[in-house]
Amino acid sequence: MWFIRFVTSSIGKKLIMGTTGLLLFLFLCTHAAGNATIYMSSEVFQSYADELHSHPLIVMVFSLVIFVLFVVHAGLGIFLFLENRRDPGCRYAVNTRVVSNSLASRTMPYSGLFILLFVLVHVFGFTFGPEHVPISETVKVMLSGFFYGLFYIISFIILAIHLSHGFWSMLQTFGLNHPRYNVLIARLTYILPAFFLLLFGGIPLYFMSGAGASF
Amino acid sequence: MSSIDLTLQIWRQKNNDSLGHLETYFLQGIHTDMSFLEMLDVLNEKLTKEGKDPVTFDHDCREGICGMCGAVVNGVAHGPEKEITLCQLHMRNFRSGDTLVIEPFRSKAFPIRKDLMVDRSALDRIIQSGGYVSVNTGGTPDGNSLPIPSSVAELAMDAAACIGCGACVASCPNGAAMLFTSAKISQLCLLPQGQPERKRRALAMVETMDKEGFGNCTNFRECEAVCPKSISIRNIARLNREFLVASLLEG
Ligand code: HEM
Ligand code: SF4
Ligand code: FES
Repeated sequence: MWFIRFVTSSIGKKLIMGTTGLLLFLFLCTHAAGNATIYMSSEVFQSYADELHSHPLIVMVFSLVIFVLFVVHAGLGIFLFLENRRDPGCRYAVNTRVVSNSLASRTMPYSGLFILLFVLVHVFGFTFGPEHVPISETVKVMLSGFFYGLFYIISFIILAIHLSHGFWSMLQTFGLNHPRYNVLIARLTYILPAFFLLLFGGIPLYFMSGAGASF
Repeated sequence: MSSIDLTLQIWRQKNNDSLGHLETYFLQGIHTDMSFLEMLDVLNEKLTKEGKDPVTFDHDCREGICGMCGAVVNGVAHGPEKEITLCQLHMRNFRSGDTLVIEPFRSKAFPIRKDLMVDRSALDRIIQSGGYVSVNTGGTPDGNSLPIPSSVAELAMDAAACIGCGACVASCPNGAAMLFTSAKISQLCLLPQGQPERKRRALAMVETMDKEGFGNCTNFRECEAVCPKSISIRNIARLNREFLVASLLEG
């Protein structure tokens, strides 16, 4: 069957990683837009959250899809990592990397696993968090905590590193590599993660610094 | 003409089954105008005179066109200078007192035959599975009867510059052969003669590439940095497109 052959091929697996990565990236965009309401006021944020959860079916279907995306993306990522490692890892006595910016590319499985850990903490903290307390209150209390807030900021930095290779890598995997667009892509692969870092990282900073005390 | 003294650490291995090790040699008075392979010749002459086994390494044209030579010098395939093969590397790139660690091109798909000589026939088998045109193209066509835009011809020519040396595989942290395979697919899929077998070719060559035990590309870009013919990873992007379309329409 063509689909089985596609999925078991090296390029097919990469294309699925790229597609799930893109969909997770799009989810990140909608999540960022929703959370940006925190910067307006607790009322706006609370009404956004209430509106969202007044459609439990939509929330459930979306959560399920995102869960599957995570499992496929992380599962394939770890599978490819282990498969590639079968090639004698430290095969040379002297290892020299010729490409300069290889930190992000070398750490993809590790940054990915950290994001997974973060997502678990995040979901258990907020989605399955304290009941009968408005979510805006939970967010304020949790993120005002120094270590909790710091963990969030570190996670967003790691997400930005993951995406700084991931965004470009995804487009290359999709076959998008053309001199006319390469400069733009090379810039976007830093600008977009930095944008997420500012938007998401700003939230714990907002509460930790006391700027959100009257939230 | 100046000359330099070097310490060499060279991988010695009897055959595929035996364990190898790095052995140290000292060479004095190497002329800086020598090529890297000529330096190895000097070492081998010395070893032969001492009644020792000379270092086995592949070579043929010694002018960067055949793709036979290649070794990893201080961690870099084909040595420190860009866009050249090992035979084109000159000893003026090194200083007196330098230590050079010389290792074979390593990959799961490249068994070591002896010392620095590896079996790269896995690359040949990728070609055998589809890297050719087998449809009957008829007699010599009239001039300009097959119009090809010069920009396309240039791209095909750039891809066709690949000499199959395997440095891309040797330098890839995953041991992937994507740069090689993408060059061989691009040189045909860009031109009219390559069209009839285009989809079948993409599927077959990728399948062989995976079967031979090469790794998965994770876009590290080490390959294009060491490639002596500066094959661009733009070819890998093209290969990904070719494979996707072929899988959807003919897989
Ligand atoms: C919000 C969460 C995440 C987003 C938006 C994301 C995004 C991406 C993107 C766009 C790519 C590039 C795909 C390609 O090269 O074709 C990628 C690659 C990768 N991701 Fe993620 N990812 C996320 C979470 C994770 C998690 C939880 C893991 C767990 C291990 C992970 C591991 C990897 C690995 C190993 C790669 C492969 C790198 C490569 O081959 O270039 N990612 N990610
Ligand atoms: S793509 Fe470059 S490095 Fe790879 S086999 Fe061809 S010439 Fe050698
Ligand atoms: S010996 Fe022919 S390319 Fe080096």
